Amino acid sequence: MAEIVETPREAAAEETAALAPRVRPAFAPPRALVLGVLAAVALVAVALPFVATAYVVRLGFILLLWVALASSWNLLSGYTGYVSFGHAGFFGLGAYTGALLITRLGWPWWLAGLAAGGLGMLVGLAVGWPTLRLRGPYFAVALLGLSEVARIVATVWEPLTRGGLGITLPPTADLVADYYAMLALAVAATALVWAVARSRLGLRLLAIREDETAAEVVGVPTTRLKLLVFMLSAGFPGIAGALYAWETSFIDPGTVFSVTWSVRTIASAMFGGAGTVVGPVVGALGLNLLAEVLWVRFPFLHPVLFGALIIVIVVFMPGGLMGLAQRRGWLPRSRAW
Amino acid sequence: MAGRKGQTRREFLQLMAGIGSAAVWVACSGSAVQTGRTGASAPAPASQATPASAPSAGGAPSGPPIKIGASVSVTGSNGRTGLYQQEAYQLWERQVNARGGLLGRPVQFIIRDDQSDASTGQRLYEQLITDDQVDLILGPYSSQVTQAVANVAEKYRYPLLSAGASASEIWSHGDRRYTFGVYSIAEMYFTGVLEIAQRAGYRTVAIVSEDTLFPKSTAQGAAKLAREKGLQVVLEEQYPARVSDVSSLIQKVKASGAEVLVGGSYLPDALLITRQAKDLDYSPKLMAFSVGAAMPDFGEALGKDADYVFGPSMWEPELTTPGNQEFVREYIAMHGREPDYHSATGYSACQVLEAAVKAVGSLDRERIRDWLASAELETVLPGKYKVDATGMQVGHEVLTIQWQNGSKVLVWPPKYAAPGATYKLPTPPWSQRA
Amino acid sequence: MEGWALTLVQVAISGVLLGAVYALLAIGLNLIFGVMRIINIAHGDLLMLGAYATFWLFTLWGVNPLLALVAVSPGMFLLGVALQRVLVDRVVGQPLLSSLLLTFGLSSLLTGLALNLWTANYRSVPAFSGSLVVGGVAVSIPRLIAFSVALAITAAVYLFLTRAKLGKAVRATAQNAEVALVCGIDVARIRLLVFGLGTALAAAAGALLAVIYTIYPEMGRAFLMKAFAIIVLGGLGSFQGAFLGALALGVAEAFAGYIWNTQIAEAVAYVVFIGVLLVRPGGLFGTSE
Repeated sequence: MAEIVETPREAAAEETAALAPRVRPAFAPPRALVLGVLAAVALVAVALPFVATAYVVRLGFILLLWVALASSWNLLSGYTGYVSFGHAGFFGLGAYTGALLITRLGWPWWLAGLAAGGLGMLVGLAVGWPTLRLRGPYFAVALLGLSEVARIVATVWEPLTRGGLGITLPPTADLVADYYAMLALAVAATALVWAVARSRLGLRLLAIREDETAAEVVGVPTTRLKLLVFMLSAGFPGIAGALYAWETSFIDPGTVFSVTWSVRTIASAMFGGAGTVVGPVVGALGLNLLAEVLWVRFPFLHPVLFGALIIVIVVFMPGGLMGLAQRRGWLPRSRAW
Repeated sequence: MAGRKGQTRREFLQLMAGIGSAAVWVACSGSAVQTGRTGASAPAPASQATPASAPSAGGAPSGPPIKIGASVSVTGSNGRTGLYQQEAYQLWERQVNARGGLLGRPVQFIIRDDQSDASTGQRLYEQLITDDQVDLILGPYSSQVTQAVANVAEKYRYPLLSAGASASEIWSHGDRRYTFGVYSIAEMYFTGVLEIAQRAGYRTVAIVSEDTLFPKSTAQGAAKLAREKGLQVVLEEQYPARVSDVSSLIQKVKASGAEVLVGGSYLPDALLITRQAKDLDYSPKLMAFSVGAAMPDFGEALGKDADYVFGPSMWEPELTTPGNQEFVREYIAMHGREPDYHSATGYSACQVLEAAVKAVGSLDRERIRDWLASAELETVLPGKYKVDATGMQVGHEVLTIQWQNGSKVLVWPPKYAAPGATYKLPTPPWSQRA
Repeated sequence: MEGWALTLVQVAISGVLLGAVYALLAIGLNLIFGVMRIINIAHGDLLMLGAYATFWLFTLWGVNPLLALVAVSPGMFLLGVALQRVLVDRVVGQPLLSSLLLTFGLSSLLTGLALNLWTANYRSVPAFSGSLVVGGVAVSIPRLIAFSVALAITAAVYLFLTRAKLGKAVRATAQNAEVALVCGIDVARIRLLVFGLGTALAAAAGALLAVIYTIYPEMGRAFLMKAFAIIVLGGLGSFQGAFLGALALGVAEAFAGYIWNTQIAEAVAYVVFIGVLLVRPGGLFGTSE
């Protein structure tokens, strides 16, 4: 639990670390405190629909959606270093699968959501098998392209999807039920990352990130592992997409396949700290809450502020909030975080 | 544009003032949550994010303000047109307060920006209704956002005048009780254009459209109308949003031999098609575009090349509908630019809402809904406000304009056209133009 | 010629004409990638700035867009150098994610600034119009002008890279920065030069697109995706690859648009480049790494 593992960007920052004041000995928060904070967060999350207005619940739903996306993206990209721009594609796929199962076949929303997740994983398997052989920028650009192809397919395949007319779902979504479903999804994604991070699998994934060739040489079955986490990572945006479709009750290809889903997911995870368990959760909540506050107040300036914020994160907080906290010694450098 | 600049400056100041208190604000919004739950009597100061104009000096209205909520697309892909709608709301707010308010109370708009995003729009309306506890709402801009927002309106039983959306999809599901159209549905846009084509004796039509909800709806409607009028649709094709080259498309239209080209488009694609048609030396006998052509920008961008192009319009400034001239005059005085038809539809929605509240004599939303479902009323728009059983607008009349000698001329229906104004056909080949 | 043959020629010409303008954008993007190994998401927005600058000069002072290009490109070169010095240099050599995110932030910032400075209104520069009809084939005059200028600039950059000493230093840095450093090449300065040059090329593409297209704050996004497709098609880091890839994409899109429709044409670009990636990750013309 207390092994010290390099967080992302830490390796690159080695030279500066030598100049910087010596890293303080890691402070390990007492177990009681950690459990207390966790319990408090859980209480707020569970109690929210009982104390808050519908708007706040809906905001909570969207924030949890970002948590689910950021955590599941982190599972693949944070740990293996394969930067995926495919989340938009899986999200859109899930949204359309969910919407079609609900409107055409009359499936209950939760079953449609699970089916969308299953299909996301299957497609993840099919997509990951050829693309995970590509490295670095090639993988990133290939998935970006595949997401766009998925959008075009959804637009052109009119008999099934109605193309640009979009799909209108019956407006019977139960906000509270949908909120809890998304809460469960976000918790599941984060718990999975936590379990993987602490396991042998997590170590092997990190080995792939640091040096894939070397990992192969020492006997890590890189292809199989990458494919496994890619598949797991693709299921979550699938379910999230279906829940989103049910919640918003109207989807069209331009909205649910928008590259924004990928980019903001990545920005959220990076803001908190990719390759850590807690980082993407904190990042997704913080960044998107900030965004909501910013553009209510400054409709014309928010793209400028949002852009500036991201630049600040990259330049001054490599490793994100978690990286910052760990460098300052506020948090232990443990894989459990 | 001047108004826009002022707004930016104000935002800068707000930013300076607000940057330190952002965290506090987040905390405050938490406490607003509780107010919302207990249904507090004292209305929370809704100062946040209210780009509404200063209260008028007219002074007559008193008591707590009537809060009207709306989100419009000020930024994002529809920012260009959404802003017109917001300006109309602001003008009406000032006017109604100057003439004594509504039910003797001042009117206060709470306007938010949905960034042209359906999910954000939906969340903002939920915020307006549950957190800000607005008394009434008005519609957002664009068909996609309205589709999502209509469900929120239904859920809370708030009558929603769809001031910036007209895809028939919004009403075709038949189970919406609280959503009412203000102007003709997208499918009817090309009524006048096709009527003109039929009278001119043309027989073949090519219909192209952007592949998103509203333009596609106008194109589908055009195809249906054309067939009803006995015209033959020889080509139907779509192109993606933000298309950068349509030369292949134009080659196909050219090859189809269509006499009439109908484009279900927004402004950029309408400009692109017209330009590339000229580049490829293609001129059909009649060319029409759904949204772009009726905008002043179309003529500004193309100059003489805009001539002969037709376009449907929901409203034109020279109309002599009741109150229209004052509307145009005061709009220019307040915002420093001419209103667009999107301003007029927004303003018309305000007029209808005002009439409804006055007729009912209270803010009882159920009775306002009943009134909206059955009333007939003249506004600045041509025709009258009248909806069918599903809430779809049926009383409004679509106008058709044509660019002639660098200016936009209202040519159809004849009863609205200026004396002597009529359409010019056929469109001459590019080589024969002055 | 037969009618169908005429049409084919017409479609091919349209494709080639547009392809040359894509090439300007793709070459800049690829140079930056080659030397610094970063993917510049803000590249399309630099194009947008170039287009707005041209629009400004044209509307306010009636400057001919081709003349404006001569003024705008050096100005944008300086902006590029400044961006490199202040921001981009910080992520060179860092994991891919950092540069992607940084340039994405820059992209959002520039789009937002443009929205505030110039509003969301659609602008255009109607400086040229009309067509030459040669043997039944119409050639758009604005597009022909854009094509010729783009070709001339591409040739100049090619000569610079292959003949000039500084250009050779750029290529050496792209091949291996460490060896270049050992050989006495000031790699930091080369980076400044390359980002400046890439920015100037994007701005030139913007100035040319201003003549044939509509200008709005988010216009860069659509072209960025095309530039991505092109450099993957031609090989990341390859100059000739980017040029040929651009022409190939222009023609492929034109034919796909004619045979199927413009929606499919958009997809064809992606399908082709994903196919190329999987079969030949180094690109059609590039050397695999």
